[in-house]
Amino acid sequence: MSERNRLRSIFTLVQLNGIIPIRTTPLYVVNLLASPLSFLFFIYIVSHGTYVAYGITGGMVLTMLTVGTGLQSDLTHYRHDLKLQDIVVASPVEAPIYVAGMALSELVYSLPALAVFVVLFFAWGFATVTSLIVVAGVMVLVWAFACALAFTLATYFKDVRETFIFSPLLSLLFSVLPPVYYPISALPAWAQVAARISPTTYAAGLVQGAVGLQPLSLSAAVVDWSVLVAFTVALFVIAGVKARWKEP
Amino acid sequence: MMSAISSVHLGKTYPKARPGRFALDDLSLEIPPGRVYGLIGRNGAGKTTFIRIAATQLAPTKGTVYVLGEDVRTAERSIRARIACIPQESRPLYFLNVEEVVYLYLKLRGLDPRESRRRTKDALEELSLTPYARSLVSRLSGGLRRRTLCAMVLASDADVLFLDEPTTGLDPIARREVWEAIRRASRENRTIVLTTHYLDEAEALSARLALIESGRLRLEGTPADLRARVRYPYRVLIRGSYPREELASYGTVSEIEGGTMLFTREADAHEVARRALERGFYISMGPVSLEDIFLDVVGKSIDQDTDSAEKEAEMETSA
Repeated sequence: MSERNRLRSIFTLVQLNGIIPIRTTPLYVVNLLASPLSFLFFIYIVSHGTYVAYGITGGMVLTMLTVGTGLQSDLTHYRHDLKLQDIVVASPVEAPIYVAGMALSELVYSLPALAVFVVLFFAWGFATVTSLIVVAGVMVLVWAFACALAFTLATYFKDVRETFIFSPLLSLLFSVLPPVYYPISALPAWAQVAARISPTTYAAGLVQGAVGLQPLSLSAAVVDWSVLVAFTVALFVIAGVKARWKEP
Repeated sequence: MMSAISSVHLGKTYPKARPGRFALDDLSLEIPPGRVYGLIGRNGAGKTTFIRIAATQLAPTKGTVYVLGEDVRTAERSIRARIACIPQESRPLYFLNVEEVVYLYLKLRGLDPRESRRRTKDALEELSLTPYARSLVSRLSGGLRRRTLCAMVLASDADVLFLDEPTTGLDPIARREVWEAIRRASRENRTIVLTTHYLDEAEALSARLALIESGRLRLEGTPADLRARVRYPYRVLIRGSYPREELASYGTVSEIEGGTMLFTREADAHEVARRALERGFYISMGPVSLEDIFLDVVGKSIDQDTDSAEKEAEMETSA
């Protein structure tokens, strides 16, 4: 397949799984707005507005993670119930093209939520050249590792019902337990160590540091970026080696 | 002439199958190019496993398959560029309309938008789907959904089409429209591998047929070849209560509702028919059908399920 045809395939998948379903059922967008915005609302009520800034930065990270959980469900459903993966395997479309197209299509659903958070980001005075670059970089990495993980898991699930178990678990492990919505200093010492296992701790640390919510030294920033990039690369390698594009 | 598809001592054991349970065992086939090749067998006989291996969706355990001269184990990418497949029990995405299903599939394969539009229009017309072009798949009957999938792969630029039970759920008229589209694709020198439960369909479409039972090849050849290989190539149906003992020496006799069926040789069929007519019985006679051949070779009807490794794998997948 030529590069031009690969791009055409990716765009076709975005159209097929992102643009057309939203056109047919606009409620999808409302559904994907609900989760991060309800967290923000909850934080606003509980902290009397004190932690809203964390709600905004955390919401941006969570929105990217939601892309991954949505992708996991869609890929599993399409593979088992519609046999779409088999149809695509027996075609010139390669696995990375399929995943890239589907991952971008899931991003389309999240654009309204992202737009809301970007507006809030500017409204809270967080936007500087540095913070925008850091936030964009972190969000791309979170989206990439969430999608790589989603694809790998989706090729193992035997039924879409399994995603109903894994999606909340992954959400808990990546967005609730790690300090995405609050400063890591709010955790007890032992929990801070445990939180370091999750890559979203480093993502949140970078975003919170970039907007001035938490102090972030240069060495800490280097560590955070390194861990986040290494985790993303590791999940891509695992997807490349372990994902079942062709069944054994 | 080089085969379009050639399987060499192909074997498949599913990873979680019980010891000694195989889905395919030493299956060697030569599928000629530019023809329709029918795979027939009961549920779980191994037809889908064969198609999935040849379509590069499933890895073989033993042996291999060559598609257009390339090995499915090592040349997946170049094979995939030249094939298309409708998997068994596949369904189109329900939020697309019929036209989008075909058009987007063609674009996904890398065809340019103008060519995709042209092929989509032709395929919808050929399969009488034009009136449904803007209908959402979710609002269509099962038969129309299946026909939409047929239009999708038949409109593609693939040289080899794998159709796993493409006409399941279609009414007789729609089935014949799909048959005509398959015949046209074959006339365009494309190779079509077809599995079906409808033996009349297999016979009507296939230049050659393979009968698979329990993962093994039991018979292979043209429909005429298959007839020539059975003991009794003719059948005589005698309505009423014709004395069974008079027929026994001619071949295999079985009682059917309202009469007696005799499987016999051609000359004997003519003799028995003449005698029955002289005595005022209504008869019908002709060459044995594929269904009769299947029953003779396998000993069971095609509608009876097998207890096979492929069936186990299906159950494992859907559990």
